[in-house]
Amino acid sequence: MMRAFRSELLKFRRWSVLAGSGVMILATAFIAYLTFHQITSGATGPELTPLIQAFPTPQGLITVVGQARSLIIVIALIMVTSNIAAEWFQGTLRNLLVREPRRLHLLSGKMLALLLFVTISLALTLAISAALILVAAHAQGISTAAWTSSEGMRTFLSFFGNEVLCLIGISLLGMLIAVLARSVGAAVGIALAYVLVPEGAIAMVWQEGSRWFPVRVLNFLPGSTFPSAVGPTPPQGYTVALLVALLWMVGFVVVSAVVFRRLDINA
Amino acid sequence: MTSSPDPSQTELAADNVPSRTPAIETHGLSKHFGQRKAVDGLTMSIPAGTIAGFVGPNGAGKTTTIRLLLGLVRPSAGSATILGQLLTHPERFLPCVGALIEAPTFYPSLSGRTNLEVLAHLGDYPRSRVSQVLELVELSDRAKDPVRTYSQGMKQRLGVAMALLPDPDLLILDEPANGLDPLGIIQMRDLLRRLREQSKTVFLSSHLLGELEQVTDWLVMLHQGKALFSGPARDLLDRRSELVVEAEEATQLDLVARIAREAGYTVTPDNSSLRIACPLDFSSELNRRAREAGATHIVIRTKEASLEERFLALLKGEHE
Repeated sequence: MMRAFRSELLKFRRWSVLAGSGVMILATAFIAYLTFHQITSGATGPELTPLIQAFPTPQGLITVVGQARSLIIVIALIMVTSNIAAEWFQGTLRNLLVREPRRLHLLSGKMLALLLFVTISLALTLAISAALILVAAHAQGISTAAWTSSEGMRTFLSFFGNEVLCLIGISLLGMLIAVLARSVGAAVGIALAYVLVPEGAIAMVWQEGSRWFPVRVLNFLPGSTFPSAVGPTPPQGYTVALLVALLWMVGFVVVSAVVFRRLDINA
Repeated sequence: MTSSPDPSQTELAADNVPSRTPAIETHGLSKHFGQRKAVDGLTMSIPAGTIAGFVGPNGAGKTTTIRLLLGLVRPSAGSATILGQLLTHPERFLPCVGALIEAPTFYPSLSGRTNLEVLAHLGDYPRSRVSQVLELVELSDRAKDPVRTYSQGMKQRLGVAMALLPDPDLLILDEPANGLDPLGIIQMRDLLRRLREQSKTVFLSSHLLGELEQVTDWLVMLHQGKALFSGPARDLLDRRSELVVEAEEATQLDLVARIAREAGYTVTPDNSSLRIACPLDFSSELNRRAREAGATHIVIRTKEASLEERFLALLKGEHE
């Protein structure tokens, strides 16, 4: 597995992989600054009220930076799904399997590297966005004492940890979709369509059940670190949401492993 | 690719066919995709240390067979051993196998060297091996360039480098001459011969029958997923050899025709000559018996069938 991991690390030199990380950083920083600007410029509105209330508290920084959370999820999903599906699309999977025929070793090493890359991208994204907001706040004479207090830092780290968990789950979902679809276009299309449409649509008619769906329950994890008015807080409680999220992750891994192990590689 | 100093070995090396443990052996190997039988009960044996040609028309099942041998697709039926190991355990034999399957595939934005390093890490080969194989296929000077800037021939050579990375005992090459210029094809031929001299086995699928004829000492002919022929290339070509007998007098030709028919061979009159489908070594006996019968003014020429002619004849026979 470590051979597959080291092999995968070399592929991160590709501009298409680095571009995903770059888009995540730039888009998050842009949305965070936009939110900061709206709050500090005195804009009002029902959607802004919870953000304005949270702004001066220790949760203020993550409330601003975390506004791009959905976008981060989507970008991470596209990065992982397209990366795995591209091995079929480009035909490179057969080269890899000739050199590492133990398929589960290959898949787990590859996923480990991808998860590391997604985590580093997220860390850079949050660090750069937070630094941007802190600089902007200092420039406007806004106090950041609450954000940089020990409670503020603890909140930030808790948000980061839960966001990492969320992205691990999303990445494993991306792996499953890629293994089933085996084409970049189809895999990314299915992944985006699933994240954006079915869960939301079902939630409108069956709110009670939809809280257990994978993307929603994964999104509850970082959401739990925000003020309840900002959310989304897990209605089933954090511990239950965490357990359900872990169950989904195990499910994604098991199904992906079973399918990948038995697949004929015709690409 | 570096040229060998001895490019003149163009004859089939049938005498060199060693009788060692088969490098590849299949028994009733089959692969069905729904109702379609891509490989249908394939039984063949490739001796170690040979260059084995693998020929067949498009859709005959060559690439599927290669994918089966590499553990990429699972057989529907049958069994096989590769380098003495069961096909069901590819992790036992693939470390000693190099492969180029169809058009070589790479990560286009990565350099040639990095593409090989990806596989070297995966196979746990030293980085020095990457430099060695790049040198071998004469790509060292372009190794740092992205693969997307490579010509078709360069990609093909990089594909061969990829296959040679594990210093394999068995090399499986699917159309390795695709996109190569004539010089590249000659260099490829030399490389294959050098590998054979190192007692390595090469399983070579190609549409270039003339090329195969020059390097292979074993042949497997595939049609509709079945082996039409599997054996020494010399055997196959001998079966299609002809003697052409010329004489000024028709009576002398009639005598020769009678002798050949009595020996069980097919005789075809052709203007002022006869064509006799028989092994080439029949010529001396025919000459002796013709003289004894009084046909003293005849000229006997041998005509060896090309692999292409033999291949077409076998296919025709199959259809009939």
